[in-house]
Amino acid sequence: MALPIENRKSKIENVKKSAGFWKETWRQFRRRRLGMAALIFVGALTVTAILSPAIVGTRPIVCQYKGHLYFPCMGYFNPRWENPIFQIDKFRKRYPESLKAKDPASWAVWPLNYNDPYRRVYDNEWPDRAGNPTRDQGRPNTLNWFGTDQRGVDVFAQMVHGTRVALLVGILSMGIAAAIGIVIGALAGYFGGWADFALSRLVELVLCIPTLVLILALLAIIEQATIWHIMAIIGATSWTSIARLTRGEFLRLKEMDFVAAARTTGLGELRIIFRYILPNALAPVLVPITFGIAGAILTESALSFLGFGAPPPNPSWGTLLSAGRSNYQMWWLIFYPGLAIFFTVLAYNLIGEGLQEATDPRLREGGRA
Amino acid sequence: MNRGWMLLLLLPVVLFAGGCPKPPADDASPAQPPATSATDGETASGAGESSAATTPVADEPAPLLEPFNPPALAELDAQVTWEEQPVRDAFEMMREEKQQQPPLVSVDEALSMKNDSRDANEKILSALGQYPASAGDVDYEARFDRCVNFDLNSTNPILYSTTVESELHTLTGLSLFSFDRTFTPFGADDALVSWHVSSDRMFDKVVLRDDLFWSDGQPITAHDVEFTFQTIMNPKVPVPAVRSGVDELKWVKAYDDRTVVFFHKQPLATNVWNILFPVIPRHVYESSLQDDPTLRDSDYHIKLESAPVSGGPYRLKSRVVGQEFVVERREDWYLKDGQEVRRKPYFKEIRFRVIEDPNTALLAINNGQVHDYQMNPEQWTTQTNDADFYKNNTKSSGTEWGFAFIFWNQRTPFFADQRVRQAMSYTLDYKEMLDEICYGIYEPCSGTFHPDSWMAPKPSPQPYQQDLDKAEALLDEAGWTDSDGDGIRDKMVDGRKTDFDFSILLGEGSKTTERIVTLLAENLGQIGITCRPQPIEFTVMLEKARKHEFQALTMGLGAGADPTTSENIYTTNAIKNGRNYASYSNPEVDELFEQGKREFDRAKRAEIYGRIHMLLWEDQPMTWLYNRNAFYGFNKRLRGYTYSPRGPYTYGPGIGSIYMAPE
Repeated sequence: MALPIENRKSKIENVKKSAGFWKETWRQFRRRRLGMAALIFVGALTVTAILSPAIVGTRPIVCQYKGHLYFPCMGYFNPRWENPIFQIDKFRKRYPESLKAKDPASWAVWPLNYNDPYRRVYDNEWPDRAGNPTRDQGRPNTLNWFGTDQRGVDVFAQMVHGTRVALLVGILSMGIAAAIGIVIGALAGYFGGWADFALSRLVELVLCIPTLVLILALLAIIEQATIWHIMAIIGATSWTSIARLTRGEFLRLKEMDFVAAARTTGLGELRIIFRYILPNALAPVLVPITFGIAGAILTESALSFLGFGAPPPNPSWGTLLSAGRSNYQMWWLIFYPGLAIFFTVLAYNLIGEGLQEATDPRLREGGRA
Repeated sequence: MNRGWMLLLLLPVVLFAGGCPKPPADDASPAQPPATSATDGETASGAGESSAATTPVADEPAPLLEPFNPPALAELDAQVTWEEQPVRDAFEMMREEKQQQPPLVSVDEALSMKNDSRDANEKILSALGQYPASAGDVDYEARFDRCVNFDLNSTNPILYSTTVESELHTLTGLSLFSFDRTFTPFGADDALVSWHVSSDRMFDKVVLRDDLFWSDGQPITAHDVEFTFQTIMNPKVPVPAVRSGVDELKWVKAYDDRTVVFFHKQPLATNVWNILFPVIPRHVYESSLQDDPTLRDSDYHIKLESAPVSGGPYRLKSRVVGQEFVVERREDWYLKDGQEVRRKPYFKEIRFRVIEDPNTALLAINNGQVHDYQMNPEQWTTQTNDADFYKNNTKSSGTEWGFAFIFWNQRTPFFADQRVRQAMSYTLDYKEMLDEICYGIYEPCSGTFHPDSWMAPKPSPQPYQQDLDKAEALLDEAGWTDSDGDGIRDKMVDGRKTDFDFSILLGEGSKTTERIVTLLAENLGQIGITCRPQPIEFTVMLEKARKHEFQALTMGLGAGADPTTSENIYTTNAIKNGRNYASYSNPEVDELFEQGKREFDRAKRAEIYGRIHMLLWEDQPMTWLYNRNAFYGFNKRLRGYTYSPRGPYTYGPGIGSIYMAPE
């Protein structure tokens, strides 16, 4: 029974457009309270990392000095971004007293908490503010919210500025791992045969390497190991599960009709791989990436804890833990960074789990409860 | 235990064994004993590796000894005038010294005290340092559990290269000579009948006792001494440390079973240190040496490694690699035909437990699992004041002649200028470093010779104080100004603008060093210099240092028995063959070191070394950070310890006077 053409058209228009895959996933994910809480937590951490110099620091967020506006706090992101005028005018990194002394008309907006992640705050650096306590005397107090370490450096400041390292390590190293893993997995899965055999053996080979040991060995070779090296090494070793999952997805998807259709239209293989198959394979791959971020953060903390992390004085959660290890009475050196690591890793794992449930229809029921 | 500082002790030991180390060209590289150390070396690793791997593979290595035909003894006796040298009992000398200083408090009082002041420290040491009045005061069946922070490389006395090995050989080795707390050498009456030196200082003659036996029952003779000398100077034998100093000798000749003469190349004040080398048994090694000159690869030598033949009061009883080694008292060392011919060693056994981690070591001494432990400043100040520690232990400290420093490599564009080096020294916030980072227990350093030592100038110079204005003025004067206005100082070097941006190497794992370097980096940042602390594995750092491939580095250094030993660090010669890693060169200093070696009068020598000290202070080839004392925890039952400038163990009598009171 054929309908008139106009009628048919209106029918199509009336059909409610079903939600796309990603929209559906987001809808499913939103229902998972823990997952959402974790996502919000990670979001908050990201904001903290970006705003860290405005939250705690010893350099003004913005100040007017000799008629110009400056943002000295940018120096926390990169030492070169700290306006040289202050070095030339011999501020010697002591802004509060120097600003007033050298230009009485100056004004400044200060971070929420006057403390530095790299150094101790000394007596009267800030008018009438006592210096940070050193040794084992740095219990949490009103000036040092999370206490200070043996050097007298504020723990809160180190943790806030350490957030940048923690997040960067997770995201960058997993970015590298994802790039490698997806490409290798895609090639292996799509081409099959010898390519698959060779690449799968490569995956197995890398899988056999104990990551931590490899990292320690490589760090010993590298001349001046920085946090970037660590990220690169973590990234270069943790792509195996991503590659395996991608390969599996590709093995399945390449037999699908839409791929055959694409092939018959004469599209290039790379285009088929990356434009047609990959977007459909991404969902399951996202899950190991999220778990991988958690793993990378743990690895970085472990390295810093062992003393192989970023070179001093870079603040890092693991470094704080390691400082606490030499004196268990200073519980605040272990408690706060420990909590931060725990919750961050937990959050990424919860997000990963949420994603898994949201993208896999078989698991959705469980999530609804 | 502080590994790095344990290593630095090696310097004096090596020097003690050898005088002025001048490694022969063919194995100059690995033979360098790691006398330097990570500055407080909580964990800096580091046993100096044996040089086996780098001994030239070329066919036949060049001989190290010039052929020499020693004259007959009668001829020699006719030719020279012998002067008698002291042969003493270090223990008795020390006991007499102790008797003149009666204890300030009783033992019980001392044990109930907390060591929280200099006064308390003095009282504790005076009471617990007393020697036993009678045999009843000593538990001869006791085992002393010592704590060391790394394991042995080799148990062969002439292959030793680290302080742990030297501590072992103090117990198991035969020593013909000894020296007291003031580094005055004398013949050991355990081993020698007499010791003579020729009036022209070219020959030393010693006569051995006839009741000396190796632990396998064979007699110890003068031929063992001659054989050992030949072995040490055998170019095929990879001797890591002992050779330096011994190579200053021309020859060693055994004229009969008891008489040995040492022939020197030059009449030097340091000759006395060159004849102090460990002795190995000829009958054990003579034939096996031909098959395996490495002394450690053949089956026979591997067996000997685990059961070496010992010539000293103790012998190696057992060893678990990486965990512990145990020595036991040799009854045949002090008894002959049932008669005590030497003093009975105080411990039945001494067990060395290898504990690398400082926290684990502290737990071990708290639980009584070990009886001694060398602490770091944090542990001394904040973690050993509670009942947990004082239940089984007490603690004490003593002045040690070690110092920590930062070496400025003068081959870099930055540090060739004296003004820049002085500016570096003016930049560091010493007060913050000493009071906060070092917990107020280290002392400011005023140069290379310890102010208490005889060779230091009187008075010693004033230690540097932070003065950023002065530092900036010096840098401006030296041409390091911020010419491009980017906040970092720069200078045209070879036509290229160079930023003042450098890195400091530091031994991995030492928190105190890391904190000090971080503080310096912060201070340098204040005056527009970028400084990057770079922690690195200790052995790698030594390797880089030797190749002069660094910009700055920080280390610690122990005191040599004789100031000549510093020659190895500051003279132009030592750039290539020594430890002058910074490539510092001052002809006047070179000249004075030569003079000092040839001068025999101590007052005149003191004057010469005082001038060296002041020249170095002016030049600042290094920034001197602090003088580091010894901080030990001891079990409450231990008695008889006294600190020397090298700590409580390795001098005469040292560990030989330590005993355990009965329970």
